[in-house]
Amino acid sequence: MFRNTLRDALHDTWFRLRALLGRNRQKAQHDEELRFHIDQQIAKYVDSGMSPDEAARRVRIQFGSLDQVQEECWNARGVNLLESFLQDVRYAIRTLRKSPGFTTSAVLTLALGIGANTAIFTVINSVLLNPLPYSDPQELVTMKQNDSLLNLKDIQRDNHSFVAGGGINTMPMDFTGGPEPVQIRGGLADAGFLQTLGVRPMLGRLIDASEDVKGGPRNVVVSYGFWKNFLHGDPQVLGKNIMLSGNSYSVIGVTPRDFILPRERADVFVSLWVAYPEAAAHRGVHFMHSYWRLKAGVTVPQAQADIAEIDRRLSEQYPDGEKDRRTVLLPLREAVVGNLRSGLLVLFGAVGLVLLIACANFAMLLIARAMSRQRELMTRAALGAGPARLIRQRLTESILLALAGGAAGLLFAWTGTRLLLAIKPAALQRFSTIHIDGRVFLFVFGVSLLTGVVFGLAPAWSASRANVAESLRDSARATPAGGSRHRLRSVLVASEFALALVLLVGAGLLIKAFGRLRSVDPGFNPANVTTFYLSPPATRYPKIPLQMNFRRELLAKISSLPGAESAMVSDVPLAGNLVDHRVVIDGQPTPAVGTEPEVQTLSVMGDYFGVMQIPICAGRDFSAMDREDQPLVAIVNQAFVRQLLPGQNPLGTRIDWIRRDEPHKWMTIVGVVADVKHSGLNLPVDPAVYAPFAQNEEPWRTWTTLVIRTRSPIAGVIENVKKQVWSLDSQVPVSDIQSMDDLMALSLAQQRFNMMLLGAFAGLALLLAAVGIYGMMAYRVTQRTHEIGVYVALGAGRTHVLRLIMRDGARLAACGIVAGLIGAMVITRVMTTLLFEVKPTDPVVFSLVAVLLAAVALVACYVPARRALSVPPTVALRCE
Amino acid sequence: MGESSIELPQGTLDLLILRTLALEPLHGWAVSERIQQISIDVLRVQQGSLYPALHRLERRGWIKAKWGTSDNNRRAKFYELTRAGRRQLEIERTAWEKLTAAVARVLETT
Repeated sequence: MFRNTLRDALHDTWFRLRALLGRNRQKAQHDEELRFHIDQQIAKYVDSGMSPDEAARRVRIQFGSLDQVQEECWNARGVNLLESFLQDVRYAIRTLRKSPGFTTSAVLTLALGIGANTAIFTVINSVLLNPLPYSDPQELVTMKQNDSLLNLKDIQRDNHSFVAGGGINTMPMDFTGGPEPVQIRGGLADAGFLQTLGVRPMLGRLIDASEDVKGGPRNVVVSYGFWKNFLHGDPQVLGKNIMLSGNSYSVIGVTPRDFILPRERADVFVSLWVAYPEAAAHRGVHFMHSYWRLKAGVTVPQAQADIAEIDRRLSEQYPDGEKDRRTVLLPLREAVVGNLRSGLLVLFGAVGLVLLIACANFAMLLIARAMSRQRELMTRAALGAGPARLIRQRLTESILLALAGGAAGLLFAWTGTRLLLAIKPAALQRFSTIHIDGRVFLFVFGVSLLTGVVFGLAPAWSASRANVAESLRDSARATPAGGSRHRLRSVLVASEFALALVLLVGAGLLIKAFGRLRSVDPGFNPANVTTFYLSPPATRYPKIPLQMNFRRELLAKISSLPGAESAMVSDVPLAGNLVDHRVVIDGQPTPAVGTEPEVQTLSVMGDYFGVMQIPICAGRDFSAMDREDQPLVAIVNQAFVRQLLPGQNPLGTRIDWIRRDEPHKWMTIVGVVADVKHSGLNLPVDPAVYAPFAQNEEPWRTWTTLVIRTRSPIAGVIENVKKQVWSLDSQVPVSDIQSMDDLMALSLAQQRFNMMLLGAFAGLALLLAAVGIYGMMAYRVTQRTHEIGVYVALGAGRTHVLRLIMRDGARLAACGIVAGLIGAMVITRVMTTLLFEVKPTDPVVFSLVAVLLAAVALVACYVPARRALSVPPTVALRCE
Repeated sequence: MGESSIELPQGTLDLLILRTLALEPLHGWAVSERIQQISIDVLRVQQGSLYPALHRLERRGWIKAKWGTSDNNRRAKFYELTRAGRRQLEIERTAWEKLTAAVARVLETT
């Protein structure tokens, strides 16, 4: 039976389509058919003795208007569907223009819902669906672990799975030659790196494998941004020399404008072998991200098996350094979007709920409109419009409204996306290419169409079912709302409340978690602390004594600035930089090679703990006596004591970095400082070791962060500090000038972003739900004005009547809230990873949100109820 | 229109067309002639409503049309019953018989 129906429907559609397409040919055929009939009939009459003229006249009379017959044939063939559709559209536009209030509110409601969705979809489209602007991105994989260049070279040589592969490490480089020395991000890569990603240079060429060798030519490929900003977009740039970290490099290429790195940021690309041969030659220095392009037909598991085999060989060959190789391959897309996905999908779910609420309001507006136009519709039905035709017409109207809402929503989304990006969520910064494209258009169109059809259908259908005769007769007295339609509205209002509650709970949880995060004690006092990142170039400061001279002189100059306390540290907390080293503790059994505990290592100079107000819990601070040739000293944090020296007196304990082939140089722990949130406010504190810069033994750690605390925010400090630095050395870049407050805020940017967005959507949802219940209550109250008049006239008390009216709304809101609470319990579980120290079923948030919603519902019901009460009974009784 | 002829009740035209075409493929004019003939001139098909009906039946897939040559050697559009049309004819015939029988019973008892 169903198959028959389906086949009939297909036949029907095909037939109409053919009729529509072959319209002219078919018209001619119809004419011919009708002419044949007429001629036959005339011939028949003539045969029976009529004169030809008389016969023709009779036939014409019998046949009636030929045009009309033609028209009816067209109708029968279904061609007129399109024409009547256009008619419907014209009619809908006309009637919508006649009620601008309704049209505006419907379009605006949908525009809010669709706009929010489109804005988030735009981001998702660029970030999750389309994150890799490379050719054939599905072939790209990355290694979860970093690796050394020598290992990468071996893998490139020995694998059977990849057509290309390459690695990169980014580090600060100085570009001198502009008005101020600036620090840029240098990409130290091998020749395979840019080729693997499929980069086609906009100008010039890439670094060739033959140049990517020790002592090769100093060539550089610059990024589009660097070329534009620092080389003035010079089209003749190829072959020119630029100074990078004290060496002269020849520009051989410029990358295309839209090229971005998968995970890093780099302004220039140089050969690692050429720029940093020391690091390139160390098999044990695992510091490169690597990217690989799979051969056609090779799957990730196959490649993984291939890599495992190479890992095994490498660990046999180099047992001391490469023993525990366990390389894991990840599809690049996974690696890039993995940690963004949950946040974005939660947001997408949230805007989905907003859209549902907006749609519910839209449906209620349509129902209200259908009711107020009941008589018109019934008149049309009485005049012969079939129910299908009427439904089609109402649908045309709702689809038209939805499309207009979609168009307006697109406008909202365009603004919204720009606002979104203006907040600059750190994790999205890499995606410079978030924009509205064809897919977004398709999304908007699809969503609008679906909205128009789905949410227009129920009201249209319920309107078409009303009884014609009754409705026309009942013109004098306002009809009680049709039962089914009232039920539909009630369900819609209750669902709005349920959906809004889910959103509000989600937002509430994020707000609470954010509050928790903000109140986390970072372990230092960020107020009025400004930080400056300096990196004396290794070319001119190759030795530690030179670096120390620079630091000492600079600190002396800065300390002489009035009203400022200053100190130096290798990396300030929350800036995102840290160096980990493996450590051994004197007197403890030596752990197996490669399993020694890793700790953060920080060098300090001056009164760092005093300036940052990090309390010293035991022992002493560093002093001026802890110099180069004095006994080595260290200060550890509490986490170090807790995790590595449990139950021991840390003071006097000797520690050292792991050393392969040399005797230990033990440092004595002289003090313990309080824990500092170095990696992130939401992350646990790792063990850390502080040592004086003066006793540093690694000349490559040239960089230094200057921290300055002023008594109050002082203007001009930044310029002053820059001047002091450049009076010592005009070629040292000063970068990342940030206050500690900014750094704290920045480290919370992603959480703030999620919270603000979800909060905004929840607010929107609350507003829409409030409007929904208010609209329904207002309508109900208007309908019941007469009834209320009767109550009041009979002497019912004011509160009694008020309660009577509000009971309806309160019941709906209560149903919605209960349903929402249950829904939220289930749904908020997906947010677990986004919440810091807050359970997804936090009872405080749940109850606060429920109370808030109930209060909003009461107000939304109270306003129309009071208005009804304020009508004098004499007027109310006359009211129809 | 003659005195003896009556208007077709609504919905019966489809049935008559299907029945007429069940015997052999015919063109439109022949269909109206045949109905008139068989009903001994009692039933007359409104010329204007015949063609919309034919097109509607064609759209439903109950009849199909093809061009052929008429007795007097003119190009004419012939309609023939499809398998679905034959089934439909049976359905409508049964419905009609039930209806007339019921109506007849009612008329006889009152």
